[in-house]
Amino acid sequence: MVTESPDITSYDTELLDQAEALRADAGLMEEYARRLRATAATLGGCPTAPEWSGPTLERQAAACDTAAEQLRTAAETLLAHAGARD
Amino acid sequence: MRADGTAPGRPAPDGQDARELLRRCARDVVDVAEGIRAVSERTSTALFAPALAASARRRPRTGLAARWALLRALTNKQGLGGSAITAPKGVGHVLGTAGEVLGRESLAALVAVTSLRLRIAAVLVDHPEFVRDPGMRRLTEAVTADKDLAAVRSLRALFRDQGAQRALSGLAPLMAELLAIRALLDEDPKNDETGWALATGRELSADPLHGISAARLAGLDKGEGAAEAVELTDQERQVITPEGSFLGFLRNIEMLSTDGRILLQNVRGPDGVVRYVLQAPGMAPGRPRNDSPQDFVGAWRNLFMPDSPYTRSILLALKDYGIPRGADLALIGHSEGGIAVMNLAQDEEFCRTYRVTHVIAVGSPVDSKKPADPRTWVASITNQHDIVPVLDGRGAGTAFDPHPHWYEVDYTGPTHEFPLCHMLHEYIEHLKTVIPEARERVDEALAPYLGPVVRTQAYQLKDRANPPEGYPFLTLPTTSVPTTAGPIDVPVRYYDSSAAHLCYTVGADTARGLLPDVTWMTPSRLGRRAMAVLSLYEHRCTTIGPYTEIALSVLVDDLWRPRPHDAAVDLLRRVDLRRTGRHVLCLAVTSEEARVVAQEIWGQPARRVTAEADLTGRRIGVRSPDLGLAVDARLGRGVRCPEADWILYGRRGESTIRTLVRAHGRLRLHTGGGVRLRLDTAAAEPLAGQLRRLGIDTARPRFVLTCPQFMLHRSAGAVLPR
Repeated sequence: MVTESPDITSYDTELLDQAEALRADAGLMEEYARRLRATAATLGGCPTAPEWSGPTLERQAAACDTAAEQLRTAAETLLAHAGARD
Repeated sequence: MRADGTAPGRPAPDGQDARELLRRCARDVVDVAEGIRAVSERTSTALFAPALAASARRRPRTGLAARWALLRALTNKQGLGGSAITAPKGVGHVLGTAGEVLGRESLAALVAVTSLRLRIAAVLVDHPEFVRDPGMRRLTEAVTADKDLAAVRSLRALFRDQGAQRALSGLAPLMAELLAIRALLDEDPKNDETGWALATGRELSADPLHGISAARLAGLDKGEGAAEAVELTDQERQVITPEGSFLGFLRNIEMLSTDGRILLQNVRGPDGVVRYVLQAPGMAPGRPRNDSPQDFVGAWRNLFMPDSPYTRSILLALKDYGIPRGADLALIGHSEGGIAVMNLAQDEEFCRTYRVTHVIAVGSPVDSKKPADPRTWVASITNQHDIVPVLDGRGAGTAFDPHPHWYEVDYTGPTHEFPLCHMLHEYIEHLKTVIPEARERVDEALAPYLGPVVRTQAYQLKDRANPPEGYPFLTLPTTSVPTTAGPIDVPVRYYDSSAAHLCYTVGADTARGLLPDVTWMTPSRLGRRAMAVLSLYEHRCTTIGPYTEIALSVLVDDLWRPRPHDAAVDLLRRVDLRRTGRHVLCLAVTSEEARVVAQEIWGQPARRVTAEADLTGRRIGVRSPDLGLAVDARLGRGVRCPEADWILYGRRGESTIRTLVRAHGRLRLHTGGGVRLRLDTAAAEPLAGQLRRLGIDTARPRFVLTCPQFMLHRSAGAVLPR
């Protein structure tokens, strides 16, 4: 019978936790993107809002989306790594 | 787009609504920024986790892919950004720092900057004048336009310009925001925490400009604090307010200036109760000084630390003044004084001892503080163009109000230029003309203190208690000796003197002829010659008053058992064990008290003359019209030599008086080449005849000993049975 050493098991558990955290963070980043777009929309209705605010917030929201996607990808690769055999 | 960043052609908004909306949006955006920052930190932690590193070594193919994916998420310019990697040390720290240095800002920082820019836009609603100033316009355009790097470049140029005070004062309402942007976007990762604190409204712990820790800077502010009751001058007493009032207290503070004094007053209120008012001025301009707690470093420490020499000194003054426990106390301060009194108010022990009813800070950065007693009424009055109140990081554009219950007036005064707009005089003027309603409101709150002033006492505050003058050399037990000029404390102490001793070799027989007519006093021999010394002194501060002294003396042997080479051997002995000394042939002094002391205590043949001496430089000069003597010398650098203590001999009746002279200073030995002595008198007395007989009027001194500044003390003369 083959048994894994306790170290390896704990490492893998930690990797799984980190993958889960990355997924959660990806969700958060999507939420941030939504909030930035909502702010941009609010400012869009305000005539004294600086013109730059809309495009800037939109660009930063898009960056949040990209970051969310990349974090999700990182979570997947981390899961794959945790599940891989030596 | 207009210079203030708003679009043309839209209907004019209601200023207050627009401002509030912009601030609310700024708050939302900075929340997002903080969230993104936290995500970046967690992702960095995952990338550099030991678990991933260990498992990647065992399974390199999948491990490398996982690490690559994480690195990509952290560094992608379209994602979390260039310097999103955050790690306290190691490779992660290097990568994060490198990203920042290369100018690749993290998404979190850029979003935080967006929030700050929204705050600036809110300020611009109230300050359209910024648009008119060309330099300011360029800067605000850069900051508010969609060019992060241009904004940073403009700010860097501004902060590099030391003379940009006007620009800085104009920016005061935006200072906190601009400092935060600069901290977040510049290449220096050390001040990032400061930038985040400013952007998110957290309490600052570091200099906004450079991110220097307040604790480190406060280390310069040394001392346990000290307070000494001092008298006001007659002129100052006339300015002191006789009736308690807000403006009156401020005028008192203005009168105190920034010379390290505070004022304590008792005021009898309308209800007949005596209450106490502490009035504290601001910081003294200039470099850090360790004699007064009111300097810039003190202000800085006050700003970030609850305890400082200023607050400690005030506590000592309050203790000395004798305020009863539980008494009502109002604290009023300007600039650093406002921070110091707020520090006191936030001390629980202090608030248990006294009932701090009011704290009023004018032109002070006190937003990061909070009084310990919730009943304390707090007022903060600031000019929006004054930079100093912005030092705590809360400018006009702040989206945070940490003290909704304070009475805060942040007004736009007519004076924009710093430091003028920070002067208390300006604040007083503005309270009369620009914001009279604020003055009335504060006076209303101070109603229990609006009554006659019944006692006033000023205190001089110091970083540390000073040791006695001349400590430890001149800290001596003294005894009082009666003289015809009144009692004199001996040893006589000289706190600040200069001296030059012109040392001549003279004929031994001639010298012997000038000594008292006794067989046992003989001149010390240097070969076949004797040594005469013409001593010139400039005593600037002594216990018998300032005076100039000219003394002619001859080196003499042991009075009982003269031996050859006594003088040379004695130089190796402690002064109190020496047997040789200098017998004073003639002494001329410029004060009556010095003459009496020399004559009656030291037994020296003293006379009072007029004389002037300048012995502090390399060119020395002494002139005495009464003696017909002029000495000029141009001395070289000379060489250091050990401090020379002396024994002086005088005569009183049939006795010899032995006086111990101890000196402390840097003595230098020079050749006598540059010395020129002139005698412009034909008279023999009092000094000229002796100088001529010794041949000093035509000779050059063998050497000269000088000491441009030293201390000395002369003991009471011991009477010898000789």
